[in-house]
Amino acid sequence: MNVIFTVIKKELTDTLRDKRTLISAIIVPALIIPLLLFGVTKLQKILMDKEETKALKIAFIDAPESIRSEFEEDSFMLLEDVDLETGKTDIQNDELDAVLEFDSDFMSKIDGMGSANLNLYYKSTNLLLYNRISDKIGLLKSQILDDRIQKLNISAEALTPIVISKQDIASQKEQIGKTVGGFLPYIFIIFCFLGCMYPAIDLITGEKERGTIETLLTSPASRFKILVGKMITISIVGLSAAFMTILGMMVGLKFLPDIPLDFLDSINDILSTKFIVMLFGMLFPLSIFFAGLLSAIVIRAKSFKEAQSIVTPLNFVVIIPAMVALMPSVELNWQTVWVPILNIALATKEIIAGSIQVSQYAVIVLSLTLMAFAMCYFSFRQFSRDDMVLK
Amino acid sequence: MIDIQHVSKKYKLSKKKQKELQTKASSIYAVKDVSFTCQPGRVFSLLGPNGAGKTTLLRMISTILKPSSGQILVDGLNVENQAQAVRRKIGFLTGSTNLYDRLNPGEIVKYFADLHGMDKNTFLKRKEMLFDQLNIHDFQKKPISQLSTGMKQKVSIARTMIHDPSVVIFDEPTSGLDVITANSIIDLIKQCKADGKTIIFSSHIMSEVDLLCDDLAIINKGELLYNDSMENFRTLSSGNSLTESFIQTVNQAQTPA
Repeated sequence: MNVIFTVIKKELTDTLRDKRTLISAIIVPALIIPLLLFGVTKLQKILMDKEETKALKIAFIDAPESIRSEFEEDSFMLLEDVDLETGKTDIQNDELDAVLEFDSDFMSKIDGMGSANLNLYYKSTNLLLYNRISDKIGLLKSQILDDRIQKLNISAEALTPIVISKQDIASQKEQIGKTVGGFLPYIFIIFCFLGCMYPAIDLITGEKERGTIETLLTSPASRFKILVGKMITISIVGLSAAFMTILGMMVGLKFLPDIPLDFLDSINDILSTKFIVMLFGMLFPLSIFFAGLLSAIVIRAKSFKEAQSIVTPLNFVVIIPAMVALMPSVELNWQTVWVPILNIALATKEIIAGSIQVSQYAVIVLSLTLMAFAMCYFSFRQFSRDDMVLK
Repeated sequence: MIDIQHVSKKYKLSKKKQKELQTKASSIYAVKDVSFTCQPGRVFSLLGPNGAGKTTLLRMISTILKPSSGQILVDGLNVENQAQAVRRKIGFLTGSTNLYDRLNPGEIVKYFADLHGMDKNTFLKRKEMLFDQLNIHDFQKKPISQLSTGMKQKVSIARTMIHDPSVVIFDEPTSGLDVITANSIIDLIKQCKADGKTIIFSSHIMSEVDLLCDDLAIINKGELLYNDSMENFRTLSSGNSLTESFIQTVNQAQTPA
């Protein structure tokens, strides 16, 4: 056991002095969520403010005077004498925001209690334009409807025979669990993997490339103990990366401005001690699984560069099951509990929603532990081969 | 003492390797039926051209590789069955100063002392003595990446000798080193000999062999061509230089009878 601790102590000291590992396992995970939150909320706010206050240039074709007058305000610039084709070209060239083309018998249909048609030409990439115009038209529509109800002398209720009152009994925590909950595990899993990646390459391929493995193998430490020490170090760094992601998220949410209060409350509620303990209960065997998998793979490489090129595509392999968990019909059941990565992603959603079954959680931890042991054994088999270890 | 009896190391050839070597053989011998003995207090030199099997042989002695057949005993311990005990007795040094760049000399020497299970007091005394002898104190806190090749080699020596091994294995220890650094290795080999340690070293530099060697073995293509004392080899050379005699021995073995 002393030999394993000696290896871990040395490898941790060595690894924590490696800039690449520090960046990928500590700095990036700690900053990514705050930066994402800050960047997205700030950008969204700027764009929305800009779109809401922007004066829309609109061309009217055959517009009745009563409707045109509704649009005569600062936030709309109304253009006259534009034919449809020129209008469409101007929209394409971003010289015009929209064209409103009214049927020639528009007003007579309205007056005759009919249904009048109006064509709206615009670019869907023009954020908020449709909402702003349909809000205006909506006001007109309600005025016309009120007039008609009065003329026909019927009650407004007569036109809405059934009213559906939505009573959502899902808690906000559950709602967020199904939405943000799908996204959260994805981040933890990816950073846990990325956290394991660089130390694995450095401690296994790096040692082989530098030639230090040869002198290490002439020490009384057995290959098994050397490998166990290295794999524990790799998984510690992987877990640290996942932990830094949570820490970054908690600190970011606490200090960043412009985050809606109800969202903030729900996220704070999600990031409870129970959630973190349960999450790390799964990430612990997963990080050992990653350490075993990566060690077994990078040992085949002769250089750091070669190892990087072998391991980089693995990112996608890790991402796929995490993404499958985002699909609406994929749920945690007695089959999916056995699929590594997918099971963690699904279980995290359930933990957040508060609907995780203890038996399913136990099977997930057990299956991940078994996978981790199997992968470590496979890695040891590789590490025992002279043609793999020596240059 | 190192006792090597009928040792062979055979490698299976992959199809790719068969193509590269233009052979249909499914395996190849890196070392074939080699026997010799290295005595304590004497320097045993292993000579041979590149690819002769020297490094494979030294790796087998140091337990990194397992022999396919035969037996190697280090101070009476079998390298296959008692590998861990053998590793406690050996020190292994190569010319490529392979060390951990982000650690400092003190940390590296402590790491290997811990792997050898040395107690704190013995380690501190031994470290003090080696660091004094090799003048490492001045740069013992500097990361290896900031040291010169000579400084690195001194650290490698300290790492190799920290546990006071009774058998020291040198695999081309001076290749690629400058004269001053190479000289520190030669001094170390002399010191080890004076201390009564068993020393085996492989080298391409005949002047070093001439200077240090008490016994020698010449191998080529994995086979032992010569094994005797240096004195007898000199007599056999009859006025030729050591290099000429070495080349002659290798060429004679390659000439078909």
